[in-house]
Amino acid sequence: MILLLSLVIAVVFGSGAFLILQRDLFRVVVGIVLISNAANLFIMAAGLTRGAPPIYPLPDGATVADPLVQAMALTAIVISSSVAALLLSLVYRLYLAHDSVDIEDVSAAEVREAEALERGEDPGREEMPKGAPGDVELREDTR
Amino acid sequence: MGSTLLAFAVLIPWTLAAALALADGRRPSVGWISVAGLGAGFACVLGLTFLVLRDGPVEMVAGGWPEGVGITLRADALGVAFAAVSVGVILVSLVYEVLDGVRSRTFPALVAFMAAGLSGLFLTGDAFNFYVFFEISMTSAYALTGYREKDFQVRAAFIFAVINLLGSVIFLIGVAALYHVTGTLDMETMAERAGRVQPSSIISIAVAVFVAFSLKLGLFPFHFWLPAVYVGSHPPVAAILSGALANIGGYGLLRFGADVLPRELELGTAAVLILGTASIVYGALQAISRRETVEVLAYSAIGQAGYILVALGIGGPVGYTAAVVYAVVNSLNKALLFLAAGARGPLVGAAFAVGAFSVVGVPPAAGFVGKLAMFRASVEAGSVALTALIFVGGALSFVYAFQIYQRVFWTPGRKGEKASPPSVRALILLLAGLVLAAGLWPEPLLALGEAAAGVLVSGP
Repeated sequence: MILLLSLVIAVVFGSGAFLILQRDLFRVVVGIVLISNAANLFIMAAGLTRGAPPIYPLPDGATVADPLVQAMALTAIVISSSVAALLLSLVYRLYLAHDSVDIEDVSAAEVREAEALERGEDPGREEMPKGAPGDVELREDTR
Repeated sequence: MGSTLLAFAVLIPWTLAAALALADGRRPSVGWISVAGLGAGFACVLGLTFLVLRDGPVEMVAGGWPEGVGITLRADALGVAFAAVSVGVILVSLVYEVLDGVRSRTFPALVAFMAAGLSGLFLTGDAFNFYVFFEISMTSAYALTGYREKDFQVRAAFIFAVINLLGSVIFLIGVAALYHVTGTLDMETMAERAGRVQPSSIISIAVAVFVAFSLKLGLFPFHFWLPAVYVGSHPPVAAILSGALANIGGYGLLRFGADVLPRELELGTAAVLILGTASIVYGALQAISRRETVEVLAYSAIGQAGYILVALGIGGPVGYTAAVVYAVVNSLNKALLFLAAGARGPLVGAAFAVGAFSVVGVPPAAGFVGKLAMFRASVEAGSVALTALIFVGGALSFVYAFQIYQRVFWTPGRKGEKASPPSVRALILLLAGLVLAAGLWPEPLLALGEAAAGVLVSGP
């Protein structure tokens, strides 16, 4: 049982890690969801015990199931699903701006924007000063 | 008295955030309400700090449950030190943005959520609760990074969220594994029982926890996300991320490393010292080679995180004192520098220079106290190499700090640049004054650092 559970967790985590390394942002989000679920499985596997439901009054001499693990897994599920929603909204926002969910396209669009900025077409963006060589290097860092 | 303050320190930002979420944050009145509420929360944390330093740790169990069943809130010197500086930095950044004009309706609510998460995180005694508060502050940080919704900010927010979620999941796995081997989530009990667990099983847990917090702190091999995010963020957001949120990493390493898993930390001393050294050197060299102010500051943050790690590696009362003092001073410096770098006009340059002096460690700025504590720790450790490293790190930071000063404040202003409102500049000067004051009168800071180190050393 332990071997089976750890295999399942490893496969889920591994496929999540594989998806995170893709260029398609939707796949990255799905990867994150898979990895969070691997963590939930891990929590369950770490403390799953068989027994009576842990509700007072306890039956005499019976072992009760550990409620803490289930509470932890529930909380973790809520957190991971809400963060997944946030990530999806960020992807949608990028999709609206660039008509693509490919990180390459998004970066390319930003480089074009920075070049336009250099020609002085949009002086409103103060956060990225003109012609700083750091701009392009930064993009390479984050790819 | 103590437990009331403890409850309010967590509750006030919490209810404030929930209420603000319904209001339109762009209206100045809402902005000032958020400042007042967060100020009240900050006052509670300060009062709590005073009480903890005078009478020792304060503890309470939420919901009136018996001890060992309910979730404990525990304020000791280590927790309140980090809580005070983090909530303080958040408050200053919020005031800055309110004075400058909030552009998004959710900004005050998100900042209040961040404060709620951070104060809860530093004041909890329960490992899983730590994770929950940690996720609350991280989630608001993801949303804050995208503040102003420019494309590169949204992309920075996405990268930030993905990388840090990965870190959170690794931490969650670490917590679940710790629960499995110790059978408890209470950190104090966990620390007691961790000593009796098979070393082979707990060492991998320690590595997972270390990786998770290094990712938050932006230490050398885990730093790759950090420059993009800091450069993309709006100045007060960058100040919050670097001055408040990064404290999670430092605090987590101290709490879980030195307090809960001290034997494993000792075992990994060499790795910790090497990674710290690599961070210091890499951060400083990268910072020197960059031209853009915010980027230099971002790499500087990587270097400064290295000092905290080196202090942690040295260990003992002196090393932990140095780590806490350095973390607190570094938060103040980074907040001051990011805010000053975002403003323009007379006297902003002076405030920036104070921050730059402080990063370098020139007296009378607060950075001197931090550097001095580091030197003391390295001399105590009897290591010539570490002392030399801290000296070289300081010299390199001198180079980059004054490179940006020269580039930004000694050149004529760019066309169409407006000076920031006088109130914003006054706020930055106030923060600069605080940094100077902490350097001129370092006793409270040192007392706080020593008390915090006492918590870690006397631990089970």
